[in-house]
Amino acid sequence: MINGTVVDLSRVQFAATALYHFLFVPLTLGLSFLLAAMETVYVTTGRPIYREMTQFWSKLFMINFALGVATGLTMEFEFGTNWSFYSGFVGDIFGAPLAIEGLMAFFLESTFVGLMIFGWERLSKGQHLAVTWLVALGSNLSALWILVANSFMQDPRGAVFNPTTMRMQLASFGALVFSPDAQSKFVHTSIAGYVTAAVFVAGVSAFYMRRHRHMDLAKRSFRMAALFGVMATIGVITLGDALGFVAARVQPTKLAAMEAVWKTEKAPMPFNLIAFPDQARRVNHGAVRIPDLLSLLVTHTFTGTVPGIDALERQAARRIRNGIPAVEALQTLAGDPHDAVARAQFEAHKADVGYGFLVQRYAPDLQQVTPQEIKRAARDTIPAVAAVFWAFRSMVAFGLLMLAYFVMAMLYTLRNSVQDRPWFLTLGVWMIPIPFLANECGWLVAELGRQPWTVFGVLPTWMSVSDHSVGYMVFSLCGFLLLYTTFIIIEMYLMTRAIRIGPEAPGSGGQSGHARAAQEAHLGG
Amino acid sequence: MDLFGDLQVTWWLLLGVLLVGLGVMVGMDMGVGTLLRYVGRSDVERRVALNVIGPHWEGNQVWFILGGGAIFAAFPLIYATAFSGFYVVMMLLLWTMIVRPLGFEYRSKIADVKWRNVWDWSLFVSGAVPMIIFGAAVGNLFCGVPYTFAWDMASVYTGSFLGLLNPFAISTGLLSLALSVMMGGLMLMHRTEGALRERARRAAAGGSLAAIILFAGDGIWVRALDGYRLVRSPQPGTLETPLEQIVTRAAGAWRGNFSLHPVLWVVPIVAFLALFGAYLAARTRRGQLGWWCGALAWAGVIGTAGAGLFPFLLPSSQDPSVSLTVWNASSSRLTLEWMLGFAVVFVPIILWYTSWAFWVMRGQVKPEHVAHDEHVY
Amino acid sequence: MSRTTSTSIEGAAMKTLAYFLLFLVLAFCVILLAVVLGDRGAWYFAWLIGTPLIVLVSAAGAAWLDTHEASASAHGKVHKTH
Repeated sequence: MINGTVVDLSRVQFAATALYHFLFVPLTLGLSFLLAAMETVYVTTGRPIYREMTQFWSKLFMINFALGVATGLTMEFEFGTNWSFYSGFVGDIFGAPLAIEGLMAFFLESTFVGLMIFGWERLSKGQHLAVTWLVALGSNLSALWILVANSFMQDPRGAVFNPTTMRMQLASFGALVFSPDAQSKFVHTSIAGYVTAAVFVAGVSAFYMRRHRHMDLAKRSFRMAALFGVMATIGVITLGDALGFVAARVQPTKLAAMEAVWKTEKAPMPFNLIAFPDQARRVNHGAVRIPDLLSLLVTHTFTGTVPGIDALERQAARRIRNGIPAVEALQTLAGDPHDAVARAQFEAHKADVGYGFLVQRYAPDLQQVTPQEIKRAARDTIPAVAAVFWAFRSMVAFGLLMLAYFVMAMLYTLRNSVQDRPWFLTLGVWMIPIPFLANECGWLVAELGRQPWTVFGVLPTWMSVSDHSVGYMVFSLCGFLLLYTTFIIIEMYLMTRAIRIGPEAPGSGGQSGHARAAQEAHLGG
Repeated sequence: MDLFGDLQVTWWLLLGVLLVGLGVMVGMDMGVGTLLRYVGRSDVERRVALNVIGPHWEGNQVWFILGGGAIFAAFPLIYATAFSGFYVVMMLLLWTMIVRPLGFEYRSKIADVKWRNVWDWSLFVSGAVPMIIFGAAVGNLFCGVPYTFAWDMASVYTGSFLGLLNPFAISTGLLSLALSVMMGGLMLMHRTEGALRERARRAAAGGSLAAIILFAGDGIWVRALDGYRLVRSPQPGTLETPLEQIVTRAAGAWRGNFSLHPVLWVVPIVAFLALFGAYLAARTRRGQLGWWCGALAWAGVIGTAGAGLFPFLLPSSQDPSVSLTVWNASSSRLTLEWMLGFAVVFVPIILWYTSWAFWVMRGQVKPEHVAHDEHVY
Repeated sequence: MSRTTSTSIEGAAMKTLAYFLLFLVLAFCVILLAVVLGDRGAWYFAWLIGTPLIVLVSAAGAAWLDTHEASASAHGKVHKTH
């Protein structure tokens, strides 16, 4: 039987490595398109300042990109190393988008990123511009395929379970790729990357303007980032709403946790602006509620309701009882694949086979399952409400804050007066961490809200892990902790250093350039 | 055999192509990393060496990532069973490989001797260790890996981490390291000049010679190993699980395919000829010719391993009859079809733009470039 | 007209034809993509259209700043940060 500690440690490791990876990815997604925008201006107007801008921001881009690539390696292999049952169970569907990501997107991005950095002297202007656009396209296509894979975990479409092989099997590639969750989540995530890059570029430009350094570069970068950012923030909020709409239909437990709805109420339902959910007692403390708003937000009507946790648990208990015969039939089929009775029993109950697996955590022998165990498993179907609730609220608050910031930034930059408002420039610098926090919160909402499933409604998390010892898990966790901590320190140091040095590149003249060339000469001996 | 069986074999072949791509491209970059402190005695020389592969290592590394993705998609049970079974080794592989992008990207950002030395050594480790692990992993396939399956097809690894470090696996690990040193040396020889070029030449010659000896030695050694033989299984091309077959072990069974189809001997012979060609090219200072010989040698070595193992992908020493094969570890027909469609469209495109990128960056990297170009590593 | 010029004119015509065909094929690909995405993937389609739009608006903003500064300096009003 699988050890609960190993399940928890595997979850901690996956969450930590994914959240860490996701610190770097959004900046790559957005900054690549901002670089493409800057270089487009350079090629169309021919003004060298835009070349300087593109080169300077691409230097920062690469410092971030290196860690994004490095930590992405972990993600590619962690499904196999730590979630081997999951990998075997859904590899038929889940593996395909990952492989296509390599073929279609990551090769494109990685091959051309080398030319983007090294090719300035070797490519014509037009060729280099095309290369930069391809890097941006490649990195975002990467995100597309990863999120198609992720959307299968949230809303498994286009697949059937095959009781002969005990694995999920692809039934429709189109249903997988065009699933509503994949569509809205890809666009939401990609554009969240644009917002991240816009806040980053605007913030660093504000830092220069505050010190009256590199004014030409900073003003132009700020203007581009502000316009890019205001449109992207509007997009990200729109898609966030679309994603909530999808979740309401396919993941009601996630939605109930996001909104901390313990009891189903009559429409129109009120919205919990602030609340302190108490999972043990199944109530909210100190709730500040806005009448009617929840129905309006989630269903876009005043007559729609959101099923509460009480109703969802009752439904889960029913599905568990219906799923138990399906799992029992599978166990029979594993011994004799041609048992027609077991096959018929499985067919009759297969819609809830995942719920049968869920209760097996507490009742390995399903013949002896007790009502308490069913109740406990039904309670498990509700994710950690307080965590999801607050992660969601933080993400939304950060999003609205960034919208306000960008609207103001747009007004000031279009009046060409942002450089005269030191308070706003200081604010711009302090805004830099906000989108990164919002991104992490978004990941938490999506993936904590998916629990207790790895594939929603089909495969429970506890079954998905590899059968490792606690010792192995402690070993790998310590290794990741040590390496990743070292990396982030080095990255932050290099990033802040590159920002302090600024666009005066070594070799292109300027005081710091000469100083560095001299240092290099010293090392050369 | 129907279409499903053909697709399974096609994906087995494509996996071979990806592994050759991994060996040739990633192996070359890792060879440069391994050799960095040997060929580059000064900081400028090391930077020249790094910048030879500087514009390409990111793209090359995708062969590794795509290899992982393709195993996941085409043979999910291999991905699940092997990666979790090899846990500690996989972690070492991952951690050494994670350091590599940072080594390339961050090393030359600060002009400080200590800083650069640390990154140089990390590039050495992240070049040599993964290559040894790749080779050792393939070696372990010949020895069999201790695992079995539970009723729900959860794989259970029953061995220890140390069991993976058996002598045969170490020798195949060294073979892959030798091949990578050869490729790195040949590439540096082709694209640099002066003392650096001479040292790279010596490394390439040494690497190819070592590879010849190790490949021949492993070929003899494998006769003494217990091989696996598929005695009974469902008709190839039907959807099956690893629980429906009978497999036996017998000494010398890995030569079964070669005895059955003597034409397969061409593959190891090509490997030997190509290795010898690479050695001669290194001696006579013909880098480009040598590089192509080296690439052919990789194809020959991996092809020999594949020809010996077929249809086995991951034999089980714990319970030979649950051994994973091309027939029982693959994805469904629909997945293989879709994946093949994408591969047929995108692999030629990838090869086309990769060669374009090499063509754009062609020519020798000179110390002057490194000193004056602000974009280099 | 000499032979060489006539062949070079022919060559130019061939090149134009080749470009014409290439762009025609590209145009059809774009239409096909738009039709499929418009039907089955409305949000993908929105992303495909929206991203270039965002990029172009931000690029236009920069170009506008250039024009603004050029006209300001032409009128002798050099901005104080210069």
